[in-house]
Amino acid sequence: MAHHDSGPMTLTVDDVEVTVPHGTTVFDAARLAGITIPVLCHQQNQTPVGVCRICVCDVGERALQASCVFKAEPGMVVKTNTEPIQAVRNTLYELMLSDHPSPCIRQQQSHDCELETQAAAAGVLPAANRFKQRAVPVMQADDSSVAIHVDYSACILCDRCIRGCSEIRHNNVIARQGKGYFAAIAFDSNEPMGNSSCVSCGECMVSCPTGALTNKKIVGQSLFEDSDGDPTTHNKAYPVETEELLALPVFKGVSGTFLELNAGAVVKRMYKAGEVVVREGDNGSTAFYILEGDVDILIGGPRAHVTTENEQDGFFKKMVSRIRPKTQDVREGERTTPTHIRIDAPVDLPYNDPIAQLHAGDLFGEMTCMSFYPRSATVRAKTDCVMLEMLRNVLDVMQKNKTFRAKLEANYRGRALGTHLRSVPIFSTVSEDFIDILRDRVELIRFAPGQIICQEGEPADSFFLIRIGFVRVSQKRLGEDLVLAYLPRGGYFGVMGLLREIPRTATCTALDHVEVVKIKAPDFHLMLDRFPEIRLQIEAVARQRDKENTFQLQRTTERQSAQPLHQFLAQGLMDAQSLLILDLEKCTRCDQCVKACADAHDGVTRLLRDGVRFDKYLVATSCRQCRDPLCMVGCPVGSIRRKNSLEVIIEDWCVGCGLCANNCPYGNITIHEFDRDGKDAGTKGKVRKATSCDLCHDMKEPSCVYACPHDAAHRVKPNEFFAGMLGTNLDEAAK
Amino acid sequence: MPLPEVLVNIEPGRNKLGVFEDLRHVQENIGYVPTREIERIATRRGVAVKDVHTVASFYPHFRLKPPIRVDVRVCDDMTCHLRGAHQLQRALARQYASASEHVQVRDISCVGRCDHAPVVSINEHYHEDTNFRQIVTEIDKELVAPRVEGHSHPPRSPEERGIAIQCDPYSSPTDHYSIYRSLLANKNFDEALAELKGGELRGMGGAGFPTFIKWEGARKSPGDEKFVVCNADESEPGTIKDRFILQYLPHMVFEGMMIAGAIVGAQKGYLYIRHEYELQTEVLNEELAHLREIGLVGNNILGSGINFDLEVFVSPGGYICGEETALMEAIQGNRSEPRNKPPRTVNSGVWGKPTALNNVETFCHAITILGRGGEWYHNIGRNGSPGIKFVGVTGNVRNPGIFEVPMGTTYRELVFDYAGGPFEGREIIGFAPSGPSSGYLPASLLDTPLDWDKVKALGSMLGSGAVVVCDDTSCMLDMALVASRFYRNESCGKCSPCRIGTQKLVDLLENWTLGINNPGDNKLLKDLSNVLRAASLCGLGQIAPAPIQSVIKHFPELMKRHIEDHVCSAGICFAGSV
Repeated sequence: MAHHDSGPMTLTVDDVEVTVPHGTTVFDAARLAGITIPVLCHQQNQTPVGVCRICVCDVGERALQASCVFKAEPGMVVKTNTEPIQAVRNTLYELMLSDHPSPCIRQQQSHDCELETQAAAAGVLPAANRFKQRAVPVMQADDSSVAIHVDYSACILCDRCIRGCSEIRHNNVIARQGKGYFAAIAFDSNEPMGNSSCVSCGECMVSCPTGALTNKKIVGQSLFEDSDGDPTTHNKAYPVETEELLALPVFKGVSGTFLELNAGAVVKRMYKAGEVVVREGDNGSTAFYILEGDVDILIGGPRAHVTTENEQDGFFKKMVSRIRPKTQDVREGERTTPTHIRIDAPVDLPYNDPIAQLHAGDLFGEMTCMSFYPRSATVRAKTDCVMLEMLRNVLDVMQKNKTFRAKLEANYRGRALGTHLRSVPIFSTVSEDFIDILRDRVELIRFAPGQIICQEGEPADSFFLIRIGFVRVSQKRLGEDLVLAYLPRGGYFGVMGLLREIPRTATCTALDHVEVVKIKAPDFHLMLDRFPEIRLQIEAVARQRDKENTFQLQRTTERQSAQPLHQFLAQGLMDAQSLLILDLEKCTRCDQCVKACADAHDGVTRLLRDGVRFDKYLVATSCRQCRDPLCMVGCPVGSIRRKNSLEVIIEDWCVGCGLCANNCPYGNITIHEFDRDGKDAGTKGKVRKATSCDLCHDMKEPSCVYACPHDAAHRVKPNEFFAGMLGTNLDEAAK
Repeated sequence: MPLPEVLVNIEPGRNKLGVFEDLRHVQENIGYVPTREIERIATRRGVAVKDVHTVASFYPHFRLKPPIRVDVRVCDDMTCHLRGAHQLQRALARQYASASEHVQVRDISCVGRCDHAPVVSINEHYHEDTNFRQIVTEIDKELVAPRVEGHSHPPRSPEERGIAIQCDPYSSPTDHYSIYRSLLANKNFDEALAELKGGELRGMGGAGFPTFIKWEGARKSPGDEKFVVCNADESEPGTIKDRFILQYLPHMVFEGMMIAGAIVGAQKGYLYIRHEYELQTEVLNEELAHLREIGLVGNNILGSGINFDLEVFVSPGGYICGEETALMEAIQGNRSEPRNKPPRTVNSGVWGKPTALNNVETFCHAITILGRGGEWYHNIGRNGSPGIKFVGVTGNVRNPGIFEVPMGTTYRELVFDYAGGPFEGREIIGFAPSGPSSGYLPASLLDTPLDWDKVKALGSMLGSGAVVVCDDTSCMLDMALVASRFYRNESCGKCSPCRIGTQKLVDLLENWTLGINNPGDNKLLKDLSNVLRAASLCGLGQIAPAPIQSVIKHFPELMKRHIEDHVCSAGICFAGSV
């Protein structure tokens, strides 16, 4: 019982008399007496909680008391380190170590796991542990955050991260969950950290005594080093002081220690006017934040070079082909040509004059940095510029920062919402005054890879437009997830539920780091009411989706009993719409087909006489026009796409990054160099573009088929062609 | 579709008061608590999502995932274990192994119906005195058509059993609350306290702390806002007496709380009851409605200028909620984790305000003393032990039940005279004077009288009077393991000694019952017991080693046979039945 309400008091700690103010804890009194009591859950800048019990002392009570919370009293006699106390502490270390990986990540990285070092100092070694280890981990490790790794097995539930998050930073994300031996920390309602409302301030990681929360350094990369060899970033990288970063509003509320740990992951660079910062198609792993100056952001003008002009009278005369604008590629049902090209920056580029400006306070290169997509555009300093170049952990910190989010949203609403919405063909007619109405109502929401944006069966309450990243649309069919589409930037989803006023018909999942624009149901309906032509088009789209869905459902049903179809399905042939097959019983391997293809396409063949075999046929390496084309995932400028027909085409604003070629599971896309033409983006000479089979679409039949002297080459619809052999036509069955 | 909001008023600064009602409302409507509802509750209450999730995930009552069609939970704590619950659970698990999509068989901590062991909960409906065939029938019924409503039985009434309750000073219901009425009129609080002191009223929840000291402490503690809390969260295996008192003497419990409120100067009383006592909750709410009707709660009661309101607070579950500060945390809408003490609850209890917290029986007996006089109460006890006590006698006895007995009665009388003694041909080998916390005593100590100090002198405790009797079909080492499992299951996890240590204790004892012994095990158990006792934050962890330590102390021969010879005379251990 406390007897005095104020004033100093004297007590004895391990035979040392010490006078302390009223209200001092035993732990602090000992500290003032020059005695350090070992502790794990207590830090000077946090409210003590007394949960680890390492700091227990004999204060004359029945049981030992946690000195970090127990208040000193006048005349109290405290023993901090008697043999029985040491024994208790050592068993406690042993208990904690029995479920703790030793060495944990922190111990491996920096040899400062407080549990392991304290235990070792007390002579308690992991190898000599007498307790049975935890059988099942309390939670699987969580690697979803870009900045921080979570290893629950190393956690000792000291609550330091919880207090760091809530008391120090007021972010209120972390709390305990569960009970007893199965208690653990949780982010929000036990989301993966990367999906939670965590702002990546780093305070929890800095507070953690063990390897439970550790800094994810981007291994093997320091921005100081890579600038030497790379001609595009030949200018010098300057270090940025942590104080300088913390002074920027966009880093407000971030732990300084955390930024120091990531020194080298963010640097400052200066650019002279006219200097190129990044070039379209290049690979990269960094994002840029403009501190001072303006930049031009541009891509080489849309040029025709992927499709080649031909003459009606035979392919042998196409030895010389001429580049021409690709106007006839407009598909049925698509009323307008694209107005804007989407790039990895807070603006879209006008199709006809693909150049725009960014200014101080803008961020670009997010997708390259977070998801390693190639650069979607060239950025050139318009004036002298100062920029921060950063790796993805620092970008993540910035993207999640509340101040930066607010600014980003304001910029988006003010500058980009209009062009972004209208760059989607069916919304192209939305008027400026309506955009003004939407401006304050839309929300920008981020999703981590794998996070579900909307779930099949949930009430539909909003419409989504993709600002950054790729979204996978899937449906549950007969217990398995069926992918319906991969939507890129500019893609939209959530229409069906809203239009039909039914629950969500599909699950939409973030494939990589995704940011979507959310338009709430009432605003969406208002838009349809105001613009009837949009309603008409959307209803057409919805009907089309209905049809496709039915088809997919039935096809899956077919898959159920697919024993004779097994090989057909295993080779993915059912997903192809058009296969180039060579009847090996007729084929003499004369290679006329390959030559014909090369002749038809500037001397570069788009066909290889090689591939998988099905029955007596060789499935040649040539575009299959898949129903679910993986090649479309990731294109930084959205130039590989399918319109309303199911053919995959490569638009002429391709930046030649090669991603689609890497994505195609069948090796059917190749990258070729072409002569540079039209408006120049900076360098002279060749330019790389992706090519794939275009079915020689202006001719009666493909050159390869036409050229085969043995009637061995055929372009077929596989489901139809093989129907007899398989005993069923998968397409017919679907209808 | 979104749920209609629950209209629990949100008190500024106490945003989480009532959060359990929000969660319950969601669960009753949807069957579980999905994330989006957690987010909605957080938004409405102006707290962070993690603040709601942390409590929703703490209490076993709340499901965060869609429920399985038939959730079968078998109690396997002390008494039920003695009555074959372990075998029952294994048989049920086998029976429904191929139907695991629809039927889940798992354990549940003691639900306070030990006089009708074994107890099985099917979709939160409690089946007493049950057996395999009956449960299979019930499960099959539930599979076809889920039960809509229905309660389990109340404890058998005094009338049914042909006994009179001695502690009730009122001969007729019309006299109820007359003690409170006269106290409000004369305001002689000092005299009332002196009467309690004279009757030597002690905390009947198990601690035996003199009640008048507690009430005086809360009375003297400065503050405009004070609370009275009745701890009706009896959750210790074997403890069933409060359920009886709440069912048949609710007027005494409430009146005791009202008297305490008047004495300490509190404005609000919470009766914190475990959610498994639905029937008793109903009884209490009816009594409370009656109190409101006759104007004995509210503002300016009977013109005395005294304000006092009562609330029945339904616990979302867990033994740890019975720890006084953990209980207060629960009332505040937090995780039920005990606080570091001091401060003591009389100075800093609910919301940090002075609070007088007592057990159901303590409030009840306060009325006995004030009605019949401290002298009567003091003298009713036998052999120099003052007072009376409600005691539950369960386990391997013929007539398990709740008995009101004078203090000083011996355990032998309780077991043989009140509870009918052992079954035919069986012999009692040991007993727990008060559930797992008291540890086990050998049958040779049955002549010990019911007396706080005399039981304490044996290294045990009188506790809440939850006598659990073990005959020669049971194994004391197995019983120690069962008790250890209970503590492991019910540890809140706040402090590391208890969170990790209780599990490691179970690991060690499981090995022993399987015949796996290591040379250092005795030292290991000693170290582990020591760290639990000395370093745990609250009584749960501190008492967790008691069962095994008591078995080692009082049953050395049995331990030796187990450890050295791997022989279990009851045939329970080493047979793979654990």
